Amino acid sequence: MTLEELRNRMKAARVEIAENRLEVVRRLLTDALRPIQAMDSRAHRPLEPAVTFDAVRSRGDRGQ
Amino acid sequence: MASEELFYATIRDVGARLRRRAISPVELTRAHLERIERLDPKLHAFVTVTADRALADAKGAEAALGRGDISSPLLGIPIGYKDIYATRGILTTGGSALLADWIPDEDSTCVTRLQRAGAVMLGKLITHEFAFGIQFPGHRYPPARNPWDLERMPGGSSSGSGAALAAGMAFVTLGSDTGGSIRGPASFCGIAGLKPTYGRCSRTGVLTLSWTLDHTGPMARTVEDCAYLLQALAGYDATDPASSREPVPDYVAPLGRGVRGLRVGVVREYFFEGIDPEVEKAFEQALATLRQLGASVEDVQIASIQSSGAFMAILLAEAFAYHERDLRERPELFGELLRERMLAGALITGSEYVQAQRLRARLQSDMGAALKRVDVLATPTSPKPAPTFATVYDPEYGFPRSNTGPFNMTGLPALAVPCGFTASGLPISIQITGRPFDETTVLRVGHTYEQATDWHKRHPAL
Repeated sequence: MTLEELRNRMKAARVEIAENRLEVVRRLLTDALRPIQAMDSRAHRPLEPAVTFDAVRSRGDRGQ
Repeated sequence: MASEELFYATIRDVGARLRRRAISPVELTRAHLERIERLDPKLHAFVTVTADRALADAKGAEAALGRGDISSPLLGIPIGYKDIYATRGILTTGGSALLADWIPDEDSTCVTRLQRAGAVMLGKLITHEFAFGIQFPGHRYPPARNPWDLERMPGGSSSGSGAALAAGMAFVTLGSDTGGSIRGPASFCGIAGLKPTYGRCSRTGVLTLSWTLDHTGPMARTVEDCAYLLQALAGYDATDPASSREPVPDYVAPLGRGVRGLRVGVVREYFFEGIDPEVEKAFEQALATLRQLGASVEDVQIASIQSSGAFMAILLAEAFAYHERDLRERPELFGELLRERMLAGALITGSEYVQAQRLRARLQSDMGAALKRVDVLATPTSPKPAPTFATVYDPEYGFPRSNTGPFNMTGLPALAVPCGFTASGLPISIQITGRPFDETTVLRVGHTYEQATDWHKRHPAL
């Protein structure tokens, strides 16, 4: 991630970070996003982050 | 003043003394309060010392012992709670100016369970701000210091929990672990710490950092003491949506079964990158000890291990989501470092968050496959020993590579156990990870190794 991309993301998210800390944040995000940017999403099983129901748990309390 | 040995006794040892009236819970508690008064001004492990509550708890334990009630091993045992666990009627700050005056109306589930088991509440222990932000100089809550070297960090975010144990200021403590906040302080302070399986211990009443990564768990000076705490903590809690109904086994009785015949898998990739040579040497020696004890040790591969770094994308995004309102409306109440870390979470796109969760699913699958071939995984807990405050205060200091985060991604139980010291006297630790809800095997391996060594018997000069 470049500093320019970081600034663009900040603008889109409406957040401000001190100029002298941008490089630290850039490195933090670069490390966090490296595996994501390296992945080929087509090669992964679909993951559906949706509600699932457990027959046992949904009796008497919450279904989750 | 009580002898130094008393403050480093185990639950089993001191419990026996309490039951045969060699010492009373009130005497034990007063001795700890005096020690806290003497040592904590230089260690800063406690935010709040609850002396009156501790003495009331101790008198209750004394009465129970007088009635012959010896059913709980935690009866009369002095404990400290990380200051993100809500405690009814007692200040709970989360290390944050936002909660500087918060007095909860209810105890967290974990506190309720331990207090019911007869533990004596000594007080609340300092945490990194909201379990994530190291306190810079001038912060409202000064950071805890490492009892092995006051110029070094005790780890975080359960910093006070680790420091208090290493200094003999509490018998056991609670920590929380989102990316390693139990195991990191355990590693840096030369103690044991267990991050149980996700869903094993309730998080109700514990301040949230990242819903899908947060775990609660025990910290202690020995693995057996961690097992005693887990026994009281574990079990279903209808008020925590992630809580599991998995039956709770006996964690203490199987500890003595040894490791003969168990298979230990060593993950070389990822966990050894940038490792300190002294840490690597101590870790290899620990593996040799496990072999001598009868375990087989082999290298194993986890195909997607390099995707572990994505845990930070999940953590940042979820932390921002939780704190967004305050970050936008009252940013001045966040410490400088915490604010910038949490704001970084706003910069992760929805797509990136979902992809990180997909990587997580693959990592869980790959780790599950590895744990079909071996009983536990072994890695260094931290690739380096405790850093100095001067190092982490350097503006260029970034978030360190994590050997613990991969097991928050996968939710597997992971235990940190001391496995040596550097030449300069800093603790080194081995991390043992097991199958979901198989804390029993994880604790058994850790206990067997611990009892074959004497690292846990060393204590800092204070």
